[in-house]
Amino acid sequence: MPTRSAYLFLLPALLLYLTFVAIPILQIVYFSFFDWDNGIRGGFVGMDNFARLGGDRVFLAALGHNAIWVILTLAFPLMAGLLLAAILAERSNNTRRWLGAIYFMPRTIPLVVAGIIWGWIYNPLFGLLNYILDGVGLGFMAGAWLAEPSSALLSLNVVGAWTFFGFCVVIFLAAIQSIDPSLYEAAEIDGARWWRRFRDITVPLLKNSTLFLGLYAAIEAMRFFDLIWVTTQGGPGYSTEVLTTHIYKTFFLVGDFGYAAVLSVVLLIIVLSLSSITFWLLKSK
Amino acid sequence: MSNLSRHIQTVVLFVFAIYALAPVYLVLLASMRSEADLFSGPLSVPWPINIENYRRVWQESGFSVFFLNSLKISASVTVLVVLSAPLAGFAFVKMQFKGREALFALFLAGLVVPAPSIIVALYGNLQALGMIDSHLGVILPQAALLMPFSVFLMRTVMQDVPDELIEASVMDGATFFQTFLRVVVPVVRPGLMSLILIVFLFSWQEYLLPLVVLQTESLKPLTVGAASLQGRYGVDYGGIAAAGLIAFAPLVALFLVMQRSFVRGISAGAVK
Repeated sequence: MPTRSAYLFLLPALLLYLTFVAIPILQIVYFSFFDWDNGIRGGFVGMDNFARLGGDRVFLAALGHNAIWVILTLAFPLMAGLLLAAILAERSNNTRRWLGAIYFMPRTIPLVVAGIIWGWIYNPLFGLLNYILDGVGLGFMAGAWLAEPSSALLSLNVVGAWTFFGFCVVIFLAAIQSIDPSLYEAAEIDGARWWRRFRDITVPLLKNSTLFLGLYAAIEAMRFFDLIWVTTQGGPGYSTEVLTTHIYKTFFLVGDFGYAAVLSVVLLIIVLSLSSITFWLLKSK
Repeated sequence: MSNLSRHIQTVVLFVFAIYALAPVYLVLLASMRSEADLFSGPLSVPWPINIENYRRVWQESGFSVFFLNSLKISASVTVLVVLSAPLAGFAFVKMQFKGREALFALFLAGLVVPAPSIIVALYGNLQALGMIDSHLGVILPQAALLMPFSVFLMRTVMQDVPDELIEASVMDGATFFQTFLRVVVPVVRPGLMSLILIVFLFSWQEYLLPLVVLQTESLKPLTVGAASLQGRYGVDYGGIAAAGLIAFAPLVALFLVMQRSFVRGISAGAVK
């Protein structure tokens, strides 16, 4: 049924989306080709603003930190989520529901608040972490977790993982429950141990969910801002700088419009490529 | 399975439960600790229980105002999205029109656009529209940023509405809009509930937009209020803990009560 009223149905959503998302994206691309002085657009400078990327050490560091964040997320919360989901799948409905809710709960907490809570756990003087390390005789390991360039990014990733692993559990659990139970029964009759069943049935059949979550994690790792901003603001030095904080500083603190637009374009290209890959891979399955 | 490996698995389950719960538990304890009790260690149960921190933050640090602002912003964003995304989702699944694939692709592209990547242009636009330092300047962009996810979720939900139901209604002489309201909405009510919860949650969690758009103290939401409290009173741990709890408790409560709707929405948006 071809119908004109379809456009009316789309109108409210489309209007909002075009005005506040799609058009700003086009503007940013446009802005990035101009010279800017104090927020006033000057002449067209072609790729000059982009040429600055190569010599911007903060940008390169930020990109590296985003990449490290992706790897850490794949290595810890994603893997933990897979393992926990596989264990939970064999437990009673009640256990599954309760533990699922507990694991997922940190995700309902705003990242800003998560950052404040954990910033406090990591506090070198009053923090719980050093207190516990002292208490169990590991006081020599205590440190200024977020104030040391060597530990800041890793410590923050533990916070990110805290809000993410439960999400992975929920997605993996839904996927495991759609696996044909007779596969597990047959394996059990053949005498396959838990680990073998996990490795030979669960893991291969969860390839799609793993792929989805992996790419989702990568996109989130490029997008996140709140957690860093409320804890370290990219510091100490540039040790936790990420692309989003670099954009924020370049725009709001330095007032360099043209270059902030360039950084935004780079961020958009990266997340849009990642999401295209996701859709393409999931569709071709 | 051998008993031993089952026990090891149970230990793993519990360790992660502690990882998830401990920080929240710690904040709860700290928020009820009085200053006199401060040095008995972060893990001791505060006694006597003290709600002075809550009172102080709520009344003196403006958290009653921040709370109402969060409520107003999140409710407005949710209403805007709920009034527009289901219609669009319906059109994409159940109606034929020119440019359907292209328009859907346009929405799909927005699915991953982060607020920080458009803030450079958005900020100027909001200035031109006179929306800086107003709630509208937070509400409209936030609804727009959540629109792709919402349309996507609604498209998935609408796929389950039987075509015969819609055809029968249209045959009876109802317009598409009447059909949508009387036939479709009742069928997809659980999906709408998921949408409402997720949009409300995301909007309550938002930080960057209100941070840059709102300057007047009395307009700020909880996320911005909590972050600035941290800066102002660096050592008032009881106050910060109470503030943090006020900022996330409504979300946790909502999630625990409506868990099923949440999970359905998240896995529908994610898995399909």
